[in-house]
Amino acid sequence: MDGDIKTIGAGLAIALGALGPGLGIGLLAGKAMEALGRNPEARAPIQQNMILALAFCEAIAIYAFLTAIIIVFVG
Amino acid sequence: MGKLLSNPKVIVGLVAALAVFFVALAGGALGASFGGGFLGSPIPHIQLAAEPVANIGGYTLNNTTIMFWASGILLLSLVWLATRKMTEIPGRMQGLFEAIVEFFDSTADSVAGGPKAGRRYLPVMLGIFLIVLFSNWLGILPGIGTIGKVETVAEFVEHRVEHRAHELDKGKAETKLIGSACLRPAVKDHHDRAFIEVLCENANEHFVVFDGRLIKPGRTEQTKVGLNQVVEVDELLAGRITVTEAEHQIEEGIVLHLSAGQKADCKQCGDLTGKRAGILVPYLRGSSTDLNTTLAVALFAMVAVQIWGIRALGGRAYAGKFFVNPFTKGPILTGVGFLEMFGEIARTISFTFRLFGNMFAGEILLIAMGFLLPVIGMLPFLGLELFVGLIQAFVFGMLALVFGVSASAHHGEEDHGGGSRGSHDDEHAAAGVHTPQTQGAH
Repeated sequence: MDGDIKTIGAGLAIALGALGPGLGIGLLAGKAMEALGRNPEARAPIQQNMILALAFCEAIAIYAFLTAIIIVFVG
Repeated sequence: MGKLLSNPKVIVGLVAALAVFFVALAGGALGASFGGGFLGSPIPHIQLAAEPVANIGGYTLNNTTIMFWASGILLLSLVWLATRKMTEIPGRMQGLFEAIVEFFDSTADSVAGGPKAGRRYLPVMLGIFLIVLFSNWLGILPGIGTIGKVETVAEFVEHRVEHRAHELDKGKAETKLIGSACLRPAVKDHHDRAFIEVLCENANEHFVVFDGRLIKPGRTEQTKVGLNQVVEVDELLAGRITVTEAEHQIEEGIVLHLSAGQKADCKQCGDLTGKRAGILVPYLRGSSTDLNTTLAVALFAMVAVQIWGIRALGGRAYAGKFFVNPFTKGPILTGVGFLEMFGEIARTISFTFRLFGNMFAGEILLIAMGFLLPVIGMLPFLGLELFVGLIQAFVFGMLALVFGVSASAHHGEEDHGGGSRGSHDDEHAAAGVHTPQTQGAH
């Protein structure tokens, strides 16, 4: 019983936690593509900044993932 | 495309790749459900904290510590090799390092806003990038995390019993076990009580069955045994065997019996009884998968940021960013100052967990892929891990630079909106990188 609730909790943690960053990465990449289409010469800075910002978005999903891991393996 | 497919070499290659794919598919965990699984292995014990591998005069040496030293030594020796004989026309090694330094030099200048303005931040930023990169990449070498010693069941239980007995000696009867059915206040002897409670708590802990020192390929997840299959925990709790007898069973550390489900499910399980069970403790583990390593690098970066700020603005002016007099400048700015201070702490934590989380997640991803689809399932993910390792190292270095630049900025120049971490500083970086002079040239 205890284990079942833990499993559900871990699943929810990563499922809900990945939702926001997923949307964020999609929006971010979409905007970067738009910018690229409008201004193809600025490819290098756009790419660099996009990757940097993607890492920020992704970090939030990583926090959720860590929470899930801690629920499953430590708690 | 048609021309490519008519080339016999390409066709042979494709057929071989498909064959390997299907062999791996049948041999892995997916194939095990259909009677295959000859390449499979049980998932190893996944643990957040680094495993101690040696004890040198009271100092516990962790496997991640060794790896961090190794990456530091490798980095130093590579740089030494590259700069030992510097020539006008660079060789390969010198060229590689020159390219790295030039790239970061131009990036630092563009973020700091002006030629040579980034020189002050370059050494720390580049050092962080290189050491994080090396420790990330060393962690995915084969053999790291899979070669190690076997921690026997006896050792596993002993550590926990010692800890629990120590707690009981100090008079902490409950602590983590509050409300648990495992509490045994009736047992007076502290060691016995700790022993029973630990066994009861960990009755469902799983161990891998070893053949001597190896795990034979073909073992799947079902060949893991629970603690209660090595010691008769239920018998002990019911009082039918004594603590001494249970201790003896643990000392043997062999599988006593199999559960009914295992007997029915698993063809390979028939011969498991009588074999040793334990946990694999790897000798080496990627150093970025330890929170201590990432925290150390993050603290180093944040201390460097403070020093840059103080050197650029002077101690008084820099402290003025955090401590604002509420009577002369108003209470709102005082609050913003406190938020700014909290932001510094939040940045440290964010630094720590970003790198740790990414690398730890990558390690688990590789383990899971090796479990599901052995031999080839890992290959694309190894590529992904190389990329993630590079990106995370770059992000770590870049953020140290961006924080440093914003710490050195004068009070009036920038907008202290919100005081929370991240977003504002990224805009700063974005604005910096867009400055015209460098990007076209590189």
